[in-house]
Amino acid sequence: MPRDRRIWKHPIIDFKRGRKVRFFFEGKVVEAYEGETVAAALYAIGIDVLTWSPKLRRPRGPFCMIGKCSSCLMKINGVPNVRTCIEPVSEGLVVERQREIPPIPETSENRQVHVEELDVDLVIVGGGPAGLIAAMEACKRGLDVVLIDESPRIGGQLVKQTHKFFGSHEWFSGHRGFEIAELLSKKLASFKNLRILTRTTAYGIFKDNVVGAACFGSTPGNYTIRFRTCIISTGASENYLVFPGNDLPGVIGAGGAQTLMNVFGVRPGERALVVGAGNVGLIVSYQLLQAGVKVLAVVELMDEIGGWFVHAAKIRRYGIPILTRHTVKEAWGCERVEGATVVAVDEKYEPISGSERDYEVDALLLAVGLTPDNRLLAQAGAKMVWLPSAGGFVPLRTVFQETTLRNIFVAGDSSGIEEATTAMVEGAIAAITAVESVRGISKEDEKYRKRLLKFLWGEYRASPVVRRAAEAKKKALIDPEKLEEVVRG
Amino acid sequence: MIVGGGISGLFTAYFLANRVDPEKILLVERSYIGSGSTLRCATGIRASFTTEEHIVLMKRSIEYWLELSRELGFYLRRGGYVWLLQEEHLDAFKEYSQLHNRFGVPTRIVDREFVAELVPSINQDMFAAALHDPLAMQADPFEVIHTLTRFLKSTGVKIQEFTEVTKLVLDHERKNVEAVVTNKGEIPAENIVVAAGTGTKNLLKSVGVDAPLEPLPKHILITMRYRRLFDPLLIDWASNSYIVQSRYGGFIVGAELAENTSGEAINRIDYMPHAVRIWSKFFKWFPKVYILRYWTGYYVMTPDHHPVYGPVEGVDGVYIAAGFSGHGFMLGPVTGYVTSRWVIDGDPGIAQAKNLMLARFTMGRLIREKAVIG
Repeated sequence: MPRDRRIWKHPIIDFKRGRKVRFFFEGKVVEAYEGETVAAALYAIGIDVLTWSPKLRRPRGPFCMIGKCSSCLMKINGVPNVRTCIEPVSEGLVVERQREIPPIPETSENRQVHVEELDVDLVIVGGGPAGLIAAMEACKRGLDVVLIDESPRIGGQLVKQTHKFFGSHEWFSGHRGFEIAELLSKKLASFKNLRILTRTTAYGIFKDNVVGAACFGSTPGNYTIRFRTCIISTGASENYLVFPGNDLPGVIGAGGAQTLMNVFGVRPGERALVVGAGNVGLIVSYQLLQAGVKVLAVVELMDEIGGWFVHAAKIRRYGIPILTRHTVKEAWGCERVEGATVVAVDEKYEPISGSERDYEVDALLLAVGLTPDNRLLAQAGAKMVWLPSAGGFVPLRTVFQETTLRNIFVAGDSSGIEEATTAMVEGAIAAITAVESVRGISKEDEKYRKRLLKFLWGEYRASPVVRRAAEAKKKALIDPEKLEEVVRG
Repeated sequence: MIVGGGISGLFTAYFLANRVDPEKILLVERSYIGSGSTLRCATGIRASFTTEEHIVLMKRSIEYWLELSRELGFYLRRGGYVWLLQEEHLDAFKEYSQLHNRFGVPTRIVDREFVAELVPSINQDMFAAALHDPLAMQADPFEVIHTLTRFLKSTGVKIQEFTEVTKLVLDHERKNVEAVVTNKGEIPAENIVVAAGTGTKNLLKSVGVDAPLEPLPKHILITMRYRRLFDPLLIDWASNSYIVQSRYGGFIVGAELAENTSGEAINRIDYMPHAVRIWSKFFKWFPKVYILRYWTGYYVMTPDHHPVYGPVEGVDGVYIAAGFSGHGFMLGPVTGYVTSRWVIDGDPGIAQAKNLMLARFTMGRLIREKAVIG
């Protein structure tokens, strides 16, 4: 195998790798550490190409690393199209790459699927910041709760956030994202009225308030969950950018790169170019440096840097140029990015010919925004509204986060792109309203919810940078007058 | 003006544009093109029906499908249909086959070995015999809709999406239609073809016409893509269910669930196990495939399961193309043909189409179709 991309020394993170396990990759025995996923483990040992596109046979590598894209589909134990970025490694796993549309699996026996019907007060889909806080608030108040998450462990994108939160003490200011995830997971473990289903995909919301959920992997299950209330906190997926070569292995979502290096301790490459100078682009650039990756430049289409000044100043101190009014023209390479051409754009954002510059890089990270993942809500028939400033289609909702579907709530990025603190506050508001719907609301809770709303729409999002997001989400409110009433009155 | 940007409206525009100035044709669609029933359909095209009207019209439709596929350049596969039958169905299907043959549709009753050659992995114990329709085919609704729309625009036909017609407007004598009211204002029109699927009934009601059109919720799913296993669309007549492997390899499965007409089509948790149970009896590999998507739609049903075509008595200038009872996609080209002929020549050009006018319900001339699937 070519090389080991694992990070063994990191200024902030102590990677707690599990015991060594061995599995088969196309007939060869390869080693990994328990806790890694198949895609992370293969990438760590230098396997860039995880699969080939079925029609044009173009090589594909990891992109999102959180189960939201289809860039890492492989055959595992005979089952094709497994999302290997969220499939944990285990002893003796048989992993193969796909080169075409797969035949029907030839697994000899039909595996026993655990079938279970549940009846709960609240089902939460998505165990990120919004979902975890919602679970905590609802459990504290005695609701029977099921929390579903596709990943092997809960925490959502908190688990890869290594920067310290600022904002309010109540919402973990001074803590790093992954610490918050650990803290919340520990707290939730103490609730007897909470059931957590990891590696489980909620595949639909059905007639008469039923969520269908399927657990994959070695212990497959199919759950029919009848609910009184439901919170959708399914997060977001990373945006793509259109340029020749954008599908080469090594072109990775900035978030995907964060998962690789901050969760699994795997370097996404040796020399990187980052596209997008919003907060994600700037933070990921700094984290790349921490992981020992050389960052050649940050490319930004707009005239100005979108992210916070502190982040920009930090990476400038390390001598990394931020090229505003530039974009990627193309990426090239054979089965892996070997370089990219950057070009300046004019005031109409059209490329200026002659301004091309080539960079020899093996990683091209795209930090060009997120799209809310609210497919479940759309499928269930919630009314959606197109709000580019919130990231795309978002569900209409009341100030209490209830969608146009009675007792179905939305919280976090799936309600419109923002950041983790907003997600947590929205999760709390949704959970308390769910409690209200199941058994009524106490005076204290009513007060608490009012305080949360005031914090969310007033004090917390007062700065111009987050104000924008709040203004966007206001347009998705069914009852904006109610907001006035709560915040001012 | 054509109200409705589904397969029927688009093909009507196509045949009209062959004969009149395309710039005088406007098609309006309340959502995006194909968003009603067309893009939700099962992709099958067949002429093996149980009435003369359906067989003759569908056979002509198949001829148009072939011609248009060549002319416009879209995918069409002649995979055929196989109706899997039990002992007790055989007598009826022998009769149907004779009827098909009489109108030039070469179906025949075949034995289990014949089916096993077409569909190698099928469990032969699950059926007694089959009816094979070699004329039937599959198209790709997405490609057809896209190709047609692009072509129509290139000829000068105006297509306006997200324009919802809320009512038709009659002139002061209340005899001729003269305009429609939409969410984007009133639009005048001399002739109006209402091909609006589930919305047709209300539009006709706005000019005092009562059409017996009832939407019936339907359920359908598609699996992940797998290497091609068989070509024909299979029908299990006993469970009223079908399966077909799409152009791209996913298995499309429709199966009947008890639903009320005019109920809302909502995803039901019991649909997927129901569909899987049926086809797992025929294919031992079926439990191993992964379902990718499951969606709902409507069959707009008429009392005799035939479409409503042609002009409306008492309201000049209004033409109907609706109530396909699950067969709108396959009928698309012939619907376009007869409707365009009615608008331009006052005659559908195919005699059997005249039997499908709205008046048949008040005159009690119903034609019963027995082979509605899914």
